[in-house]
Amino acid sequence: MSRENDGFEFHPTRLQQFLDVAYRIINVFVRWDRLPTLLAAVNFTVFRDRLRAYNLHHTGYGVLTPDKWKPGYERWRSADGSYNCLAHPRMGMAGTRFGRNVPLAEGVPETGDALLEPSPRLISRELLARHEFIPATKLNLLGAAWIQFEIHNWFSHGTPETENEFKIPLPPGDDWPEKFNGCMHIQRTRLDPTDREAWLGATPTFCNFNSHWWDGGQIYGHDHPTQMKIRSKRDGKIKFDRDMLPEDLPERPGIDFTGFNDNWWIGLSALHTMFAREHNTICDGLKLNYPEWDDEELFQRARLINGALIAKIHTVEWTPGILGHPALEFGMHAQWSGVPYRWMKLVLGGNSEIAHGIIGSETAQHSAPYAMTEEFTAVYRMHPLLPDTVQIRSLNPRKASKTLDFVDVQGSKTRALMKTHGFADVLYSLGIANPGAMRIRNYPNFLRRFRKDVERSHSHKTEQPLLDMAAIDIMRDRERGVPRYNRFRELVGKKRVTSFEEITSIPGIAQKMREIYKDVDRVDLLVGLLSEDLPEGFGFSDTAFRVFILMASRRLKSDRFFTDDFRPEIYTEFGLDWIRNNAMKSVLLRHFPELGPALEGVNNSFSPWNVVA
Amino acid sequence: MAIKITIPGIIRLAWLSDPDEVIAANDSGVVQRSLSGLGGLVQRSIAAKLAVFRTPDGDIWPAFRNRGDPLRRTRQSDLEQALSHTRVLLKRVAPETGALATYIRSGSINRPPEIVVQQMVGRLFFPDYAASEESYDAARALQTWVSGGPIKSYLLKSSGALERALDLIVTLARGDTSCAHATAIAMHNIVDTIERMRRLVKTSDNLEKLGAQDAIASTLHAPKQVVRETRDGGRVCGAYLGARTLVILRLEAARRQKPEADIEFFAKGWNQCPAHAIVPALLVDIWKKAKAGKS
Repeated sequence: MSRENDGFEFHPTRLQQFLDVAYRIINVFVRWDRLPTLLAAVNFTVFRDRLRAYNLHHTGYGVLTPDKWKPGYERWRSADGSYNCLAHPRMGMAGTRFGRNVPLAEGVPETGDALLEPSPRLISRELLARHEFIPATKLNLLGAAWIQFEIHNWFSHGTPETENEFKIPLPPGDDWPEKFNGCMHIQRTRLDPTDREAWLGATPTFCNFNSHWWDGGQIYGHDHPTQMKIRSKRDGKIKFDRDMLPEDLPERPGIDFTGFNDNWWIGLSALHTMFAREHNTICDGLKLNYPEWDDEELFQRARLINGALIAKIHTVEWTPGILGHPALEFGMHAQWSGVPYRWMKLVLGGNSEIAHGIIGSETAQHSAPYAMTEEFTAVYRMHPLLPDTVQIRSLNPRKASKTLDFVDVQGSKTRALMKTHGFADVLYSLGIANPGAMRIRNYPNFLRRFRKDVERSHSHKTEQPLLDMAAIDIMRDRERGVPRYNRFRELVGKKRVTSFEEITSIPGIAQKMREIYKDVDRVDLLVGLLSEDLPEGFGFSDTAFRVFILMASRRLKSDRFFTDDFRPEIYTEFGLDWIRNNAMKSVLLRHFPELGPALEGVNNSFSPWNVVA
Repeated sequence: MAIKITIPGIIRLAWLSDPDEVIAANDSGVVQRSLSGLGGLVQRSIAAKLAVFRTPDGDIWPAFRNRGDPLRRTRQSDLEQALSHTRVLLKRVAPETGALATYIRSGSINRPPEIVVQQMVGRLFFPDYAASEESYDAARALQTWVSGGPIKSYLLKSSGALERALDLIVTLARGDTSCAHATAIAMHNIVDTIERMRRLVKTSDNLEKLGAQDAIASTLHAPKQVVRETRDGGRVCGAYLGARTLVILRLEAARRQKPEADIEFFAKGWNQCPAHAIVPALLVDIWKKAKAGKS
């Protein structure tokens, strides 16, 4: 029994064992992405099963006890994610620790000088800085907003520590304005204050301030007090201020009040507002069907339904949108609702999650208690998706377009912009624009010299430090002990590379990496992921994709509300129909019917829309 | 000069026996104590062997804790502090040191010397620690598990002897992994030293001629070797060690070349043995008692 993993073990079936051996042989000759669609999709399940067996590692929960059980938790989600797993009520709750996708001894940060070498600032300048905007042509900017919207559901390391910063020496000629004795300061990730278990060894632990579950926490909050604040307390609905979400507290002007509103910009405002409206529409539907239900029952059931719809959109629309490979399209639909072939369902049997989809299948944690992981966080560093400027265009052809710097569509400027242009025009602008491609030398420059809004309170205002987010992204992986690129590859089941040229064929990058890193084993994970040559149609690297295969399905498979409890008694027949019959496009058109022409003929709402004006 | 062998899929190995290389490798961030089992079948087999050194609740034995492990640091300094009260501890284990002194002088002893050594080591942690034939057999089983060949290891595991040995050692150590390590692994080095002292006395008049320090210098050896691993490739003392190389630090060979480096205790290293003061003090005491004819 695995002592670290709280007794959880993965038990492969005979079919899984057979496929594992068969695909080890097949993959010697053919890479997964060059196989026929069906075989490639089966290849994913083989990868996933290997990862389920070897790449889930528990770090302990940290928190000792969940809040008290409340009636209703058996049929709806608690605010903080506790009691999702009834046998292990702390699992996945807000405040518990991030898990790991690598063995604990591999998740240990380097010490001394090695931790700071090569300089993250040098990497930011020489390898990450955007020289010219490289667009991701198959995706729209709404897709970039979407992933941030989702990340705010899954994880947050909290605000960084304000003391004991990393001191990054700046080379002569570096024009970084906030120098402290010739160094750039980077704040450390907030420390885990809970007691460490003896078996953790040298692996650092960090807490997830959000609930780990796919529960719509970005809209509904990750604790009960926040959840109560967003509610109108009538008919289960979310509070609105006319057609907008209410404004946050006076110290955070220009920002909507919602479950999680850090790093706010017009993309998040549009999505949060739309799905809050969707929640209220679902409440109306539920009230019609169940007039006897009170505010709490309506709110919680609508929350379940809305959260599942968001998960479905992410699974069958956003993911195939960014990973445009036929096997992926097939695989993600199969993950949600099963394979489309009756013969395959018959062969694989009634209990097979491959045949019938994860949704409604039996809950399973595989080899560790469910938790978001540091490695999953690391592969979700997707800042290159953001452009440095945003063009606001109107559905009305007579209105002129306006190009704004990204810093002018975020933070305290957000609400004013939404009021001026309206939700439909903002969504249209995001729908027709391309995000940046997830490639090296495409990191938005505004984020490499970015200062958040001043935090105001009654007595004082707090200046925020100037941030080089590219350098911070590099340091975050290092300080959390996420392995560097080559070892990361090895640990997720890929071969190590032996030269820089094996990582990338992008002109000049291998040479630049050699100059900076000297040794291929030193390449930072983010740099490797952004440089790696991509499978056909992919919007990000195959190495990152391995972690996605594991964790994207795990978010569903470990959650009883997507598995054992995905049933009418919990969701209602109305709710299951709502989830089945809706998609991103129907949500967009329900709340913004004027987007009709822009979306006509568009199969995936995260691919570029029609330009109508 | 490191000797390196690579057979793809089977093993990637580097032996270091030069004292400077051994010390540099031990201090290097490139080389880790924990073994991943990656890199070849031999690595996998050795990693699987060492993975058993955990208590039932998962606590890792001290010799397998990595450099950056905060608990290792705390426990190491706590233990070092506890073992620094040499006078008190020598008084506590006087019956055992007396018996061992008699054994060295005359070769006669009421209980086998290895059991007496185990009890002496155990009593440094717990005054009422009692060793027995069973506890020593358990320690020997664990030593065989670590250094024995595949057939012996298979028999130990399949017969359940390994699990019984671990349970007994940890139970006697009351869950204290430092005590478990000392009474199961580290004690063998003291047993070997006592046997060398006995041989020294048996064959000539060394007991009269040699002072305690000289006797210890010629009988206290370092463990033959310890195993480490490189997670990523890197340079150690000019030699490039590839990723997932099993690094064998040949401590005794290195100590012989440079005795003043205190390689047997990794003196001044991050992993300095917490018993670096008490073990020589015990051996000095035993030799002096043997010399004085006291028991």
